[in-house]
Amino acid sequence: METAHTDKNFEQKLNHLTDNLIKMSNIVEKQIEIAVNVIKSKDSSDAQTTQNLDEQVDEVERDVRDLSFEIMTLHRPVASDLRLVFTALKVSKELERMGDHSRNLAKRAISISSSFDEDLTDQMHNLGKGVQKMVNQTLESFFKKDEVQARISWNQDAEIDRQYKSLLSDLIERMHNKETSVIDEGTKPILIAKSLERIGDHATNIAEEVIFNITGHYIDLKKSDFE
Amino acid sequence: MVDQNSNYALQTSEVYVHYGKKMAINNVALNFPKNEVTSLIGPSGCGKSTFLRCLNRMNDVIDICNVKGKFLLNGNVDIYSPDIQVETLREKVGMVFQKPNPFPKTIYENVAYGPKIHGIASSQNELDEIVKDSLHRAGLYEEVKDRMDDIATGLSGGQQQRLCIARAIAIRPEIILMDEPCSALDPIATAKIEDLINELKENYTIIIVTHSMSQASRVSSKTAFFHLGNLVEYGETGKIFTKPDKEQTNDYITGRFG
Repeated sequence: METAHTDKNFEQKLNHLTDNLIKMSNIVEKQIEIAVNVIKSKDSSDAQTTQNLDEQVDEVERDVRDLSFEIMTLHRPVASDLRLVFTALKVSKELERMGDHSRNLAKRAISISSSFDEDLTDQMHNLGKGVQKMVNQTLESFFKKDEVQARISWNQDAEIDRQYKSLLSDLIERMHNKETSVIDEGTKPILIAKSLERIGDHATNIAEEVIFNITGHYIDLKKSDFE
Repeated sequence: MVDQNSNYALQTSEVYVHYGKKMAINNVALNFPKNEVTSLIGPSGCGKSTFLRCLNRMNDVIDICNVKGKFLLNGNVDIYSPDIQVETLREKVGMVFQKPNPFPKTIYENVAYGPKIHGIASSQNELDEIVKDSLHRAGLYEEVKDRMDDIATGLSGGQQQRLCIARAIAIRPEIILMDEPCSALDPIATAKIEDLINELKENYTIIIVTHSMSQASRVSSKTAFFHLGNLVEYGETGKIFTKPDKEQTNDYITGRFG
């Protein structure tokens, strides 16, 4: 537990900033969870929920931005406080992009025919579940200030990329084989997969911010470091 | 360890200071790189001013103050050696105080006083040049050139402080010690002094005690954090204010100190 500030007003604002990030993370995690489920359920009301949640995400992101600006202007944060504000600004941007991808992929998922190939749907869903897990663990590492967990989460992106590439290969192969049900959906499954892969990339960026927040350094992580 | 060919203007080690039985500095070792600005920060009573005052033997005048340790100027001059005259030391190590303290004399005489008593100028012309040059370096000449015979105490606070810096420079020191030089000044006067500090470091080594974290981060390249007479952390200012190694330093500079 960190020692409290002598300046209670400053302390309250920093707490509020963290609270906003927790709120934003919860919404985005919910958005991703719903969007991933929509891949299978094709529930249009759930897809609409991701749209509604996106508006909330945008609103909290604005709050984080304004509060960060206010803290920097009025309190001139340094050291751990400065790193928190800096990280909050960057993490909120990543979360906002994750939210956009979730909304977009849910919208595309409900437009795919229910007769679409089951195996490919499962692959998309599994990719989504993997991404969802990675996001949850990354955000947990942020709030727990757990550098080891952040590095583990960062490393999961390699598996997400592998699954993404495998799914793309399958999709393209089936198109080559002139599988009508796949061809009819055009680029929609590809874009869904791409959205999921991008969410994974944003989670990777957050993991790097977590490490910066804890250590004060941006680590030049390479996937080969873990292989 | 003392490096004879060091790039340090001043090296200190095993420094202990007591006021009577009360310990004020506890085994501090700190070196000051030449032509750099080093900030000493810490809460009131942490020993930073006491330490600063050791560096030109200002504590000598306090009877109950007992200073021990090694203090080497330019790697080889022990400033506490019986061979060293305090006046000679203060030619090398000048000081600017918290409150501007011009003599109740003219502007000219304030700056000329040091060179005169130290015998630095060999003629009136040379003395005039030293006064002019020092006022220039202190960024004050243009403001006072037409009223050099006015009494210095009529200057504004910021001008008085720059006059004190000119007075310190006039005796051609190597090191300038500053004890909260801007705490009595408004933001513009403070900015002028900070700008001046930045220019002065090309020719002098500056050691500044400040309570302003933002001032320490703006003017210095090295920062030392003191607490309860101990040197808690010393390092690059950029690092101290972004990711200090010690939690105690983080707590102090972020305002968490209990």
